[in-house]
Amino acid sequence: MKTTTRMAFFERASPALKHILLQLYRADKPPAVEHHLHELGSLQYHVQSDASEPHCAYMSVSTPLLSTGYSISGELPRYTLETVKGICPEVVEIVEPPRSGYQLTLKLTFTNIPRKKDAAKIITEISSVHAVILSSQLRELLRSVNEEEITQGTYKPIKLVYHPREPFYVVKQPEKLTAVFPIRFKEESDVVIAKAFFQELVNVGSSGGCARAPACYWSPIPPAELRGESIQDLSTNGGFVSFEITARHVEGKKLDKTVWNLLNFNALVKYHVKCTKGFVQRRMRSRLDSFVEALQQTSTKEDRPIEKVKGRARVKKLIKFTRCTVLMKRWNLKKKIKRIRSRLRIHGFGKFQRRWLKLPSFSSVMRYQKLDKS
Amino acid sequence: MASSLRLYLTCIRNTLEAAMCLQNFPCQEVERHNKPEVEMKTSPELLLNPVVICRNEAEKCLIETSINSLRISLKVKQADELENILTKKFLRFLSMRAEAFQVLRRKPVQGYDISFLITNYHCEEMQKHKLIDFIVQFMEDIDKEISELKLSMNTRGRLVATEFLKQFI
Repeated sequence: MKTTTRMAFFERASPALKHILLQLYRADKPPAVEHHLHELGSLQYHVQSDASEPHCAYMSVSTPLLSTGYSISGELPRYTLETVKGICPEVVEIVEPPRSGYQLTLKLTFTNIPRKKDAAKIITEISSVHAVILSSQLRELLRSVNEEEITQGTYKPIKLVYHPREPFYVVKQPEKLTAVFPIRFKEESDVVIAKAFFQELVNVGSSGGCARAPACYWSPIPPAELRGESIQDLSTNGGFVSFEITARHVEGKKLDKTVWNLLNFNALVKYHVKCTKGFVQRRMRSRLDSFVEALQQTSTKEDRPIEKVKGRARVKKLIKFTRCTVLMKRWNLKKKIKRIRSRLRIHGFGKFQRRWLKLPSFSSVMRYQKLDKS
Repeated sequence: MASSLRLYLTCIRNTLEAAMCLQNFPCQEVERHNKPEVEMKTSPELLLNPVVICRNEAEKCLIETSINSLRISLKVKQADELENILTKKFLRFLSMRAEAFQVLRRKPVQGYDISFLITNYHCEEMQKHKLIDFIVQFMEDIDKEISELKLSMNTRGRLVATEFLKQFI
């Protein structure tokens, strides 16, 4: 049986958005619905379909934009809008102005999808609008690098900010493009796991199986291309990972995929570290059980059952309903009995008793007083 | 099993067999107290000389004996950073669940990674030779488990790296 491993985390199309759009497309009478989706921290989608326009849906996107660290504008540039229009011009229409709080609103006309077979493909492409926006931005940023710099041979690194705390650098050279990722972690154990992963990444990259993949390097010190950058940006505890992207990796449709992978590299590393820690924890838990079992076999009592180590799961307390408790609850007998047995109360008598009928205190027979040594 | 490891474990086993002759002994200082003398160290006459068995600088075992208790402390080998964090994580995980082990000490002796405390009551409840077997097996398994964990982590890393790089092809 052939098994395929997919990195769901790296799918360009949002699975939830795809699911919703497919549901709307397949419904005979699309219901009036409104969905709000939050993904990858700061990415938001809003999908709305109205009963008055049964075969249309409005999809709005709000995404953190790729910036060079200096200028961050809330609006999408024109070249990005052009790229989005190109996804499927018959189906996708850009609505002006976009819905408030979102950067882009698209009107999706499902009746214009040419064939039923193409529907899933087109909807997948629409669901990957986020990746399209980002790749068009990076493409344009790289295009705008001053041509003079390249002719003079001075290759300045471009600082790109996608996740605010994790900027990365791109150095454009005539034959290749180098992407450098400074890696930072809060915990020392995360750094060690990430370093082991980078070692494997470098080994796999240099092996024959992935010879056509971009060359990958890891170094604990900043690479020479980043000379002159601020010390704050170059101080890391996980070192620097560099990928050398050549023309082969950005040909045609590969560009979008390459950009998507580079933008999410930091997230992938963090995800891997988290999963590895979980894996270690699971292994340790299973090992603990076997150790405890081995120890319990040392017991002199032969018929002692083997106790399993339990976590801190809460145990629900079972409520017992005996006849007595039911009666007590129903009639509140305790209070009634108390009331019957209580003595007569005279208002203010307690105060009078404390003031005038107080007995002098004397030492109890049961108690003793510690004598001084002197 | 490597011959050096076999020798190391045999030596520990023999030492434990000799040391594990514990008896009930109430505290000499405080009336109606019965505490492990190896921990309290109130009377030097109740303590035996501690024995350190070393396989190398990174791997050693300290066996401290007294009249009513025995303390075994282990230092597990940590060849690199990854083994170091795995050992720390694993042994801390076990120490946190010491109540399940009975003989495991919550805090290891200084300079060691994990410690066991066996009292005369444990020797009464458990079979002595099986307890020694458990300690020796534990030492073997810890080494094996950490090596396996390291291997699995590298394998996982390689798989993820391959999948990531395949996306570019």
